[in-house]
Formats: sequence, C-alpha cells, structure tokens
Amino acid sequence: MPNWTLDGLRSADPVLGLAFVMLLAVVLANMLHRYARLPRVMGTMLVGALASPFALRLIDRSDLDPWKPLLDLAIGVLVFELGSRIRPRWLYDNPWLAAMCVLEGVLAGIAVTLALAWSGAPAVSAAMAGAVAMSTSPVIVMAMLHESRPRGQVTERLLLAAAVNSVLAILAIEGWRVVAAVGAPSPGAEMLSVGAGALYVVCGSFLLGVACGYVLHRLSRGTAESGAMPVLQIALVIAASLLAAQWKLSPLMTLLAAGVTARVAMGHRLTVEPQLGSAGAVLTVLLFISLGLLFSLEGAAEVWPWALAIIVARLAGKALGIFATAQKSGLGWRQAGALTIALQPMSSLAVLLAADSFVRPTPPGMNSAVLQALLLATTVMQLGGPLAMQWALQAVARESDGSGETRIGTSSGSGTSSSRSTAAGAGTSAGAR
Amino acid sequence: MGVELELQLLATHDFDLAPQAEDLLRVTARHSGAWDIKPEITRSMIEIGTSIQREHASLLAELRDMRDQLARAGRRLNIAVAGGGTHAFQNWSEQQIYPTERFRYISELYGYLAKQFTVFGQHVHVGCEDGDRALWLLHALSRYVPHFIALSASSPFVQGQDTGFDSARLNSVFAFPLAGRAPFVRSWDEFGTFFDKMTATGVVQSMKDFYWDIRPKPEYGTIELRVCDTPLSVERAAALACYLQSICRYLREEKPFEPAEDDYLVYTFNRFQACRFGLDGEIVDPKTKQRQKIRDDIIRTLARIDEHALDLRALDACNLVRDTLFDGNDAAWLRARREPGLPLSAVVEQQALRWARRP
Repeated sequence: MPNWTLDGLRSADPVLGLAFVMLLAVVLANMLHRYARLPRVMGTMLVGALASPFALRLIDRSDLDPWKPLLDLAIGVLVFELGSRIRPRWLYDNPWLAAMCVLEGVLAGIAVTLALAWSGAPAVSAAMAGAVAMSTSPVIVMAMLHESRPRGQVTERLLLAAAVNSVLAILAIEGWRVVAAVGAPSPGAEMLSVGAGALYVVCGSFLLGVACGYVLHRLSRGTAESGAMPVLQIALVIAASLLAAQWKLSPLMTLLAAGVTARVAMGHRLTVEPQLGSAGAVLTVLLFISLGLLFSLEGAAEVWPWALAIIVARLAGKALGIFATAQKSGLGWRQAGALTIALQPMSSLAVLLAADSFVRPTPPGMNSAVLQALLLATTVMQLGGPLAMQWALQAVARESDGSGETRIGTSSGSGTSSSRSTAAGAGTSAGAR
Repeated sequence: MGVELELQLLATHDFDLAPQAEDLLRVTARHSGAWDIKPEITRSMIEIGTSIQREHASLLAELRDMRDQLARAGRRLNIAVAGGGTHAFQNWSEQQIYPTERFRYISELYGYLAKQFTVFGQHVHVGCEDGDRALWLLHALSRYVPHFIALSASSPFVQGQDTGFDSARLNSVFAFPLAGRAPFVRSWDEFGTFFDKMTATGVVQSMKDFYWDIRPKPEYGTIELRVCDTPLSVERAAALACYLQSICRYLREEKPFEPAEDDYLVYTFNRFQACRFGLDGEIVDPKTKQRQKIRDDIIRTLARIDEHALDLRALDACNLVRDTLFDGNDAAWLRARREPGLPLSAVVEQQALRWARRP
C-alpha cells in the first residue's frame, strides 16, 4: 500500500509523484478558476510551486531532467503555434508597430540594465539581466490565449510583440556573450570566436526553422485530407527542437521561424489546433507544473531590491516604448495600457538559454546575486503575469473572450459620430439599423 | 443618389470576423474624401456612406477611394475588409453588440436576433421631390426588388454551411417583426396617418424601426432600397446603384404602369425566388401574371432603360449588370471558390482579396 503521508509521497517514484501532481493541478486550477476567477495557468503553476523544494518538497528539480525532452516539446508546440499566428508583413504595413515591438523590448532591457547598475550590480551581469528581461514569455502568452480566447487589436499586438521581443532577447543574450568575452585573457580572439558562435546560433536557428517550415509544407500536400496534420506538426516540432539542441542552436528561434514559414507557405492548408491537439494540451499542463517547480525564492531577503528594480524598470521600459508609438501605430491609450500590462510575464531563463538542465541554468560570468534577483523577478512575473494579462485583455482592453458576452464601453479615442453631411449618413451617429 | 455599404472586418490569421470596428474608426477618423464611416450593430461590422452622387463615374471614384483608404487602414491594424452579404462561418453567439444607445436598445428588444443581424447589405438612396412621388416610386419599384436581390446576392454560406440560397442574408432580415414592405398608401398624408398610428401604439419610435425592403427616408428626401447584399466589389456596388437610378428615371418619366395593391400579391413569392435561386429564379409579373426567369426580366428592363442610362451617363453600370447576367452573381463566384479539403476561411480570404481588387 502506498504511504500517503508527505514523507511517503516524497519517497515515492518520481513518475508517480509527477502524475499525482498533475492530477492535483488540473483539479485545483479549475477550482481556483471557478471560485476566484484566477487563470488556470496560474493555478497549475501554484500547484507546481507547492510541490517544489520550497514548499512540500514532493518533487526535486533534478527529477525534471528526465522529462526535459517532453517539456521542450511542450514549449516547442506553443512557440510553433505562436509563429503560425504571426503575419510578418504587418511590421512592413505598419512601420510604427515595428518600432513599437523593437522599442518596448530594447527600452525594457536598457531600463533594467541601468536600474541594476545604478543599484550597485556589476555592469556585465546587469546587462545580461536586461537582455533576459526584454522578452515576454511566449508560453504564457499562448497558454492564456487558449484559456481566455481574446480577439482584438491588443491581442494581435501582444502575439507579435512577444515573438519579436523573444527574438530580440536571444540576439541580446548572444550579444552579451560577445561583450562578456572582453574580460577574457585574449579578448580579440575570444570575441571573434564568441561572435562567430553568436552568428551561427542566430543564422542557423533561422535557417533551420525556415527549412522545417518548408518541409512541413511539402509533406503536408499528400496528407491534407487524412487528418494527419497534427501528427506531422508534432513530429516537426520534435525534430526541429532536437536538431536545434544537437547543433547548439536556439530551439525558440527555430520554432518561431518554422511556424511563420509554415503559415506563409501553406496559408489555409496549415490548420493548427490549439496546442497542436490534446497531446499538446497534456504537455502544457506538465510544462506549467514544471515552471512552478522552478520558482525560486532563493536569497529573496537579500536580493528583493534588485528583483523589484528589475520588475519596475521593465514595466517602465515597456510602457515607454509602447506609449511613445501608440498613436502613430493606430493604438488607443487604453489599449496601450492594456498591452503594456499584458506584456509583463517574463520568460524563464531556461527557455531563453536552452539549457541542458532545469536545475540551475547559469550563464557563465553572471554574478550569482544578480542571477538570484533575476530568478526571483521571473518567479513573481511568471506567477502574477497570467492574472495581469487576463485583467489587461478582459477588463482594460475589453477584448472578446469568445463567449459572446456584450462588452459595455469603447476603447479610448474612438470616434463614432459622423459630422459629415452625406446622402446616406447625415445627422446619424450609428449605422442604418 | 447615395450608397451605404456594410462591410466585414476580418482577422488575417483565420479570416473570422474581428471585433475591431472601434480601432478602424479611430484610424480612419481623419480620412480624406467625402464618404462617411460609422459603426454598425456588432463590433465586426462598419458602414460607409457616400456623399450625394449624380453620376456613375464619380460614385465609383468615391467608392474606390473609400475602399483603398479602408484597405490601408486595415493593413495597419492587421485586419482585412470584405464585402459579401454574410460571413461564411461566423458564429452569431460570438458577436458583440457595438456599445451605443441605439444598438443596446435593439439588442434588449430583439434578443439574439440582434446578433444574428450580423449580415451585410447595400442600401441605395434615391432622391425624390416630395413625399407623394416618393411613395409612388416606392410602390413602383417593388416589382424590381427581385432584380436587385438576384444581382447583388453574395450570401450563400451561413455558419459554415451552403444554405442553397444565393442570398441567405434576407432570411435574417425577415425575422424581424417590422420587416417586409411598406403599406400600400399613395399619399404622404396617408403615410403620415399610418406612421402616427404606429407610433401611438408604441411599436415604433422612428422610421429606423421599420426594416422594410424599401423605406422612405423623409429627413434625407429619399427612398431607400435595402434588399441588396453588399457586393464583393465596389464596381458592382456602383453598378447596382446606377441601375436603380436608371430604373427610377424610367419609371418617373415614362410611368409605364400604375402601382396597385394587387402588385404585392406576388411580392413575397418573387422575393423568395430571387433569394433562393438568384438569377435563375422565376418571378410572376403582377400585371400580366406571366412567369419568367429573373435573368430574362432584367434583360428586358435593361433594354427599356438604356436611353435613360445614356442620359444619366450610367451605360457602363448597365453593361456591368449585363455582364453579371452571364458571368453569374457573387454567390456563384463564392461557391466556385470552395475547394474540397480547404476550409471556408480560404473562400473568405478570396472574398477579401476580391474586395481589395487583388487577384
């Protein structure tokens, strides 16, 4: 008979432990959603956090390592889906939107770097933290999209900005590695080597992603009516992730590029089910439990000022980038506020770095206190991010959640009354009905 | 004359309706051009209205300008704009009522019908000298209502299914209790009496509460033809408006017949035939009681009005109407675009491209 005490559960097989936690996560997340209107994603992460070494110690972080391929697949599925939602030409059609996407990420990074440096953090570590802080978690964005089903301008810009700032973050991290090589014994050679490596990662990821997208396009031609598309997509995500990992490329960038390429090449022939179907949905639950398990409060008492600086500076940087370009890009002020808030969930370091292990993804040369502050800030923004996003999209932006509920009120700046005298519209402020 | 067009706003990633009317209105608030843009009952629709026009060329130019400016604005917002009488696969329950007093009132009064009213029509206003002549023209035009339904029909798909109708849109309109046709009164005084009786009952508050196929619009000095689906192109929209203009001139100047109440005996049947079968529908002439295909009736009508079209500089419009008779209406075009194995969103994307005049 299994021992149902906490000690008994801790000593149980890790696979059994994870299965138990998954069960609990689904039940508790739904209860929290029903009674407290909390996003299910948040509830799932909370359960993971409860099971983590910081609470009930049911699962150790190292227990996740054998599951990493599945977790990478879960991330890959969501990122591929994000890529398939992006229309890159929109950046060309609305240059101010392109400026917004770049500015909000870059200014967030700069603000975090300056805030940490001003607070006494080593400059190189502050820059790394700034690079990581640029990105918005694409997995949280996609998970919330599936949960809330919002539709509207803020949602579309959120997806695009999350994709762009994730790419920018990867570029910044690679750039950081080059800059960090200045302190090496032979800086010139080291910088050249690291620079070549960074170029390899960026270009290689992009090319691999494009190739994978085209492969899906070609392979899908004979399978369109057989219902095999979700299987093809998952197989592609697995192959792309493993190849990227094996070739030391960025799986995140690879899969984003693959999703975008597949959509451009295939158009309507590409049907992407949410989370690529029910298998992906199971993996997503596992993923968010794992993110909860990875929550770090280590050294919180010492590093909370830096963590707070990261959160506040990031918010300010993104707000500045968005509000500065809102009107020119066709966004109302209220929507700009909603977008700023919705972009707050931070990306897990492990996701960005494509680390081999979940235990402690540590960039070499990174100050440990700054790293702790970054992990603490990521914990707070991952846990609170879904709630902030939900509030931003539903209460602030008032975008549809697909339920058909009537929304009262308009977004700011909308002009609805007609002042022109026309044969068909004189004196009316609404349509013909 | 003046033209109003209700247009679909589409998300470019799935070509479902996008609730972004406020965004488009904000971005086009300072548009150039005399045309007007305003919201409609749900947030995935907008309505544009032209200025007062007298000729086909200037009407077409204004509509093209509107189309191009809306397309540019739509690209900035990552939304597409399209014509068409219905959206092929939208779910009415997912639509959101646009937050104005009028639309909230309609939603509270009509319940789900308000959201089901996410259909898209073309309304054409024709100026009249006085109320009596407006009423005469209104009743005389009733005989030609099937023409406009069949020529403009562009709503074969509803909620993902081929309805078998060329214009399924009008089934949504007919569900409203005040839909149908105007009462057969010949003078404006009589109409005023009728209107006073209706307002006294509390059933209506204004002319806007009547969803008649042809409706007087006294504040504009016009009658308004409301049966057309929004065509898939501005060229067809302009052609239909000028076809109406030519018929009105023909009716006013030649008075080929006197409208009678018995003309309405066959009205509903003819209307149904046009909605269901489009140009292949059969109508009964209320005077001669002869049956003929709608297509043939249009050919005969075009022959009669050619001289008036020439005087109005609307021959190009009438020629486009002729072409439609043999090329098929927009409903046929949409059906032809449905490929096996592809979702209906591919058809809607084609619809949007056709509206933007891109192949």
